Amino acid sequence: MDQENSGQTASEPLLAAWIKWTMDFWDTMAQMGPGLAAAGRSGGQVSRETAGSADPWLAALNLWQAFFSLLTEPGTVAAVFRGIQAPSKIILRMAQAGWGGYFHLHQQWLKSWQGDGSPSGEPGYEHLDQDILKACNEIFEHDFRRLLNLPHLCLTDLPQERVNRATESFNQFQAAMAEFIYLLYLPVKKSLRAMGAEWVNGGEENPPEDFKEYYKRWLKILEGHYMTIFQSAEYIRTLTHTLHALEDFTLAKQELLSEAMATLGLPTRREMDELYREIYLLRKSVKQLARKLDQRESSREEG
Amino acid sequence: MDRPKIPVDLILAKLAADAEAAKHRLERARDIFHGPLATNIGTTPYELVYQEDRVRLKYYRPAAARLKTPLLLVHGLCNRETLLDLQPGRSVVQTLLKAGAEVYLIEWGNPSRRDQFLTLDDHLNGYLDDIVDFIRRRHGVPKVNLMGVCLGGTFAVIYAALHPGKIRNLITTAAPTHFNTPQGLLHLWLQKIDVDRLVNAFGNLPGSLVNAAFLLLNPPRLLLDKYLGFLEHMDNKDFVENFIRMEKWIFDSPDVPGETVRQVIKDLYQENLLVQGKLRLGGRRVDLRRVTMPLLNIYGQYDHLVPPEACEVLAEMVGSRDTENVCLDMGHVGIYVSSRFQKETIPKIAAWLLAREG
Repeated sequence: MDQENSGQTASEPLLAAWIKWTMDFWDTMAQMGPGLAAAGRSGGQVSRETAGSADPWLAALNLWQAFFSLLTEPGTVAAVFRGIQAPSKIILRMAQAGWGGYFHLHQQWLKSWQGDGSPSGEPGYEHLDQDILKACNEIFEHDFRRLLNLPHLCLTDLPQERVNRATESFNQFQAAMAEFIYLLYLPVKKSLRAMGAEWVNGGEENPPEDFKEYYKRWLKILEGHYMTIFQSAEYIRTLTHTLHALEDFTLAKQELLSEAMATLGLPTRREMDELYREIYLLRKSVKQLARKLDQRESSREEG
Repeated sequence: MDRPKIPVDLILAKLAADAEAAKHRLERARDIFHGPLATNIGTTPYELVYQEDRVRLKYYRPAAARLKTPLLLVHGLCNRETLLDLQPGRSVVQTLLKAGAEVYLIEWGNPSRRDQFLTLDDHLNGYLDDIVDFIRRRHGVPKVNLMGVCLGGTFAVIYAALHPGKIRNLITTAAPTHFNTPQGLLHLWLQKIDVDRLVNAFGNLPGSLVNAAFLLLNPPRLLLDKYLGFLEHMDNKDFVENFIRMEKWIFDSPDVPGETVRQVIKDLYQENLLVQGKLRLGGRRVDLRRVTMPLLNIYGQYDHLVPPEACEVLAEMVGSRDTENVCLDMGHVGIYVSSRFQKETIPKIAAWLLAREG
């Protein structure tokens, strides 16, 4: 903070000096014209002969000088500096938020691993440890997503918007997929924990000596956990959410590609689909007509 | 108090011995993989006798025909029909030929984006009906025998209800008709799927997505144990060849036309309209009481994809008085590729058909 203030106090006189020098320069330049400087500075009248040719020059000079006069105001200088510093502040803030998010993520990860070490974890899928993924999502939602949704102007409007939409939906799909894969990993984690507890506690009269026996037991436990999780509302919700994210990404990707294809003069997917639909309907009509004709002919032969 | 301890030293010693055996196995497996492997599927000779768009009809001629009525096999759209002719000795088609049946098999082909608008009506009242008419004309018979496999069985039931005059006998294998059951994971998941979004995004349902869904039904067995089993038997040439054939079939799922997917998921899986007598196809209501021909309904007790609850009610719902439910102690794919099905069930099917030749 101190560094920022000191930078500001050092730069302000420098800017004021540069503005004054620039104003003097343009004043000299204006004096080289036919009496424009005086008119410009005092706002006085100019002769009729010179006014026609000098009007644009005069107007530009007035505007320029007015702009620079405004710049020399102490409040404006401070505002300009604030403006200059704003992007770096935004970047800094974004980086801070990003690091904050990653730090949060790291903490979640550590907690998760600590939880793994203990064989007496919470049973059941109602205690899903999905905070890691939520933290990942939050980073995206709070930082990057906003950037992708910034409104665009002028010529870059449409293509840029589509690129951003595809990027965003790709990220959303990745996030959903990560959540889904994490859910698929949970039964592995739980079954290993159960096997670990068995190894630590023992309790069997004649424990098997063949590793394959333990593998078979683990597989059975794993299957049981999968069957439980596959029937849970949480799994079905995550599955449908992942599918929706995939569908959104597919559509966004198609839109982007269509844009590129249209630029190259190639038929887009939508155009081809419309054509396919027309062909489908035409073929169906032809088949129906052919059937009717066949029926008519066979009934005529019978009659 | 002393608790029995896990004999870690013995386990490690056994693992070391296993590792040594695995090394020798790998050496033998290398020779097998470098040599010629017979992994083709669908090798029984056939004639292509009919084609309409992407749909083709294969005809398998028996050495000696004992059944007068030809048998048409209808597979679902999600997998290939080659399941029925996977390998010599494990082929439904071959066993049926040995039993003296003239066999026709529909190959639904590879739907492209231009097929996305094809509906269930187009498949059943269009392609299937045209094929049935073709076979009737070719053999000069008024009716054919129809056997449906998995969702192809559901299609066969719907077709038989709409065109009972063209079907002499109906056989369904692992065919779901009652979809509102919490027993099958697929039934549970599809209840919540927003099929409109899915079809609007993809056009056709991608085969890769169908494969992923099947694998998710039992990841420990289908993604782990199966491959560990392969590693254990990779020095056995027959095992390797059979394994690769099955892998080829499993991962060769075609895309499924979008509009058909929309209708199957909405009307069957979500609304369960078929058993309620509310399903409409091509402007006509599908009334199961119009299924008046003899019905043989075969399903697996341990089928995780199409549970018995989804199949067994059919016999009660149809109008036929000659119905039989056969529950086998097998899973879904096991019904078609198990040696018991080849040795016991197919001869039973042939005998059942022979007894109803009329």
